[in-house]
Amino acid sequence: MSGAGFANLKALIVEDNGHMRALLRTLLNSAGVKDVSEAAHGDAALEILRERKNDLVLTDMAMKPMDGLEFTRQVRNSPQSPNPFVPIIMITGHTERHRVEAARDAGVTEFLAKPITAAHLFSRIALIVERPRAFVRCDSYFGPDRRRRQIEDYAGPWRRAEDFNDRELR
Amino acid sequence: MSNPAQKQAQMITPDAYPQMMSRQDGMRAMLSMRSAQTMDKAQAAMDAAVPAMKNAILQYVGELEQAGGDMRKIFETVHEIRGFAATAGLVTTGRIAEILCRYMDDMERLGKAADGQLVALHVSAIARAARAEDDDVRLGEEVAAELAALVARKLLTAR
Repeated sequence: MSGAGFANLKALIVEDNGHMRALLRTLLNSAGVKDVSEAAHGDAALEILRERKNDLVLTDMAMKPMDGLEFTRQVRNSPQSPNPFVPIIMITGHTERHRVEAARDAGVTEFLAKPITAAHLFSRIALIVERPRAFVRCDSYFGPDRRRRQIEDYAGPWRRAEDFNDRELR
Repeated sequence: MSNPAQKQAQMITPDAYPQMMSRQDGMRAMLSMRSAQTMDKAQAAMDAAVPAMKNAILQYVGELEQAGGDMRKIFETVHEIRGFAATAGLVTTGRIAEILCRYMDDMERLGKAADGQLVALHVSAIARAARAEDDDVRLGEEVAAELAALVARKLLTAR
């Protein structure tokens, strides 16, 4: 089998380190993704997104002048964004909890800590394909649903329309 | 209970927005991606990247040593090293970089300056580990454990 399912997929890698870009490209190629474009920072990536359709984005977090967080926010929220729903995997060595939360709040779909392995990268892609996330739009956020699991005894505020459809008001 | 005046969030289910690929293509792609052939190819790509990654690490180490007291530069560079080292097969280098990353991040969050001597000690250990011909994991773990203990004491004092 030669990755026929990914044959028509277009991916974009946003990473300031050329070696890591090359490695990610090779890993995507080995999974069957042949059409891969590259950018060294968020500004260049936004240009590419405007020029061509992309189905998947892999982005680093720390880049200059535009980092991966701002890039993600632009993709999700800018009126000029060609595809606010595009899956974004953030791949970074900045794995402290508050940075992971910042990535989540910017609207990334999946988070992958460096050092990367092929298995870990493929597992994130598999999540996007097999378990696509719902998107949430509210005053302060647009992006993939940040609730990963349902908490049985959740005591916080219920704000979503379906919360009211699915349960009686507490 | 929610505040009735609060605007409700809108949920957009996956079938209501364009997906990365069709369900059928997705199933085919997953079969292919999980095949032994694909994993072998991917592993070969990882292995082939090791020499270039090692060179990149050595370049970062040089930048780290040149950074002097520029803590922002050290912070950024050591995060790069943490991200690359294991891919380059430099486990010890990555482990020590990880300790320094955590320390500098914690100090930043505490609003305090990192201890220059402690940072220099880590930089020196990272450089030695990266330039060692063999990645001596056992010895490296001992060094890393010592540094981690030192960092824990420093953080306790800082808090």
